[in-house]
Amino acid sequence: MRFEDVSLRYGAGPEILRHVDFHLEPGSFHFMAGPSGAGKSSLLKLMYLAQRPSDGGIQMFGRDVAGLSRGDAALMRRRIGVVFQDFRLLDHLSALENVALPLRIGGQRADKVRKHVAELLAWVGLADHLHALPQTLSGGQQQRVAIARAVVARPNLLLADEPTGNVDDRIAVRLLYLFEELNKLGTTVVIATHNETLVSRFSHPVLRLTAGEIKLSRSPAMSPAMTGSRPTKGSAA
Amino acid sequence: MLLRRTDLPLDRDASGRFLPWLVAVMVYLAALALICAIGANKVVTRWDQGLAGRMTVQVPTSEEEGDDRADEVLAALQAIPGVRSAETLGTEEIARLLEPWLGTGAAYQDLPMPTLIAVRIDRAAPPDMTQMRRRLTQIAPGTVLDDHQSWLGKLLDLARSVQLVAALVVGLVGASAVTMVIFATRMGLSVHGRVIELLHLVGAQDSYVASQFQAHALRLALRGGVLGLLMAVLTVLLVANLLGQSDAVALPDLSLLPIEWSLLPLLPLVVALIAMVTARLTVLRTLGRMP
Repeated sequence: MRFEDVSLRYGAGPEILRHVDFHLEPGSFHFMAGPSGAGKSSLLKLMYLAQRPSDGGIQMFGRDVAGLSRGDAALMRRRIGVVFQDFRLLDHLSALENVALPLRIGGQRADKVRKHVAELLAWVGLADHLHALPQTLSGGQQQRVAIARAVVARPNLLLADEPTGNVDDRIAVRLLYLFEELNKLGTTVVIATHNETLVSRFSHPVLRLTAGEIKLSRSPAMSPAMTGSRPTKGSAA
Repeated sequence: MLLRRTDLPLDRDASGRFLPWLVAVMVYLAALALICAIGANKVVTRWDQGLAGRMTVQVPTSEEEGDDRADEVLAALQAIPGVRSAETLGTEEIARLLEPWLGTGAAYQDLPMPTLIAVRIDRAAPPDMTQMRRRLTQIAPGTVLDDHQSWLGKLLDLARSVQLVAALVVGLVGASAVTMVIFATRMGLSVHGRVIELLHLVGAQDSYVASQFQAHALRLALRGGVLGLLMAVLTVLLVANLLGQSDAVALPDLSLLPIEWSLLPLLPLVVALIAMVTARLTVLRTLGRMP
């Protein structure tokens, strides 16, 4: 993923992102930190192609995003798993169906994915809630369903917007282990969070956003034994 | 559970409630229009075949010459090449013809009735009508030759008008179906905007979203179409039964042939197909305009 001098403003409003320039190598793991309103969610929207930049260029998977047709953009999004801050679960579908959604859209046969989806939900601690509708689940449970949906298709790129905001520390660390497992399999991971404590428990580089500008920094505390993560790659300007 | 067909909760929409009923009414009207068109066509065909090669000659009654002129006209007719037969209608036959207008046992004998001669001509080698008319009027001035073409022409005009109206009704039904489905689909796109956005974000193409709308439209239109067709068939059976009890021979025959019955189910299928294609195109067009 390569951002080159990217700026973003909504309509005639002020610039949310200013001259953002960075490059994430395949298989890297980054946190994205910054205060509320710094532009984390906007930057993620650019990454999962929900927004086009006002200025600058974005390359994803070796292709210029600006030249993508709607159909090609949809195919590219299948390579991206997203955990939304507000979960965006479909209320009329069960947890199992919500998680299976990317697989179904990807054309996989429903009967073949059931076991895989059920195992994943069990892994995130929702084995007893496979058929529960989202509105009957707690905030933390909904968040785990959203995470399972984001990772179920083993995306090349995983983007998570405050994925641990509604769970306790023990579950938060467990979920980050899940992201690391996925990262070990080759998935590029970007996690936006304002939880500096959590960031400090892992050794991954941090993209720091302040007032629409980005800087790369290291997490102040590294704990390889705890995270078990491999050396990360990435650069920012 | 994972075999759920739609990710969009379209069944909960208002369109699910009103669309089948509207389609039912439209298919009902279209089916009746088509059956009327078939009936009108049958009437024309029946009368055309029934009157083919026949004509009627009316010889005015003359008090001075009695039936002599009529006999002369009859003899002249029988001598004309191309006339296969000519016979004077008897009083009983005339009474039967007048019965629908004058009632049973009417004293029509007191009326100045012309003598009627039923003529059958050779259709392969018909006589020259102009010469025949001239010859007969020489024998009996005021004689009228009626080859029924004028009456048949009016009947044909009427039948064509009925068929035109039927075609218009079917066309309007089709246009209404398209408009309704466009409206319902746009409403669905608006109501489910957030769900559609999410589907796009997890990789759905426009055609994936369109397939859900088209399947929904197909289901609703089929449901309504079958209902409308059933109502139309019941109506036709009822009216055909009433017509069957009537002696009015000019009224259309609404009893359908098996082949015609077998074509009727195509109507809801075609309407459902129109609804499906319209829903798909509406979704693709609407989503295609998005950035």
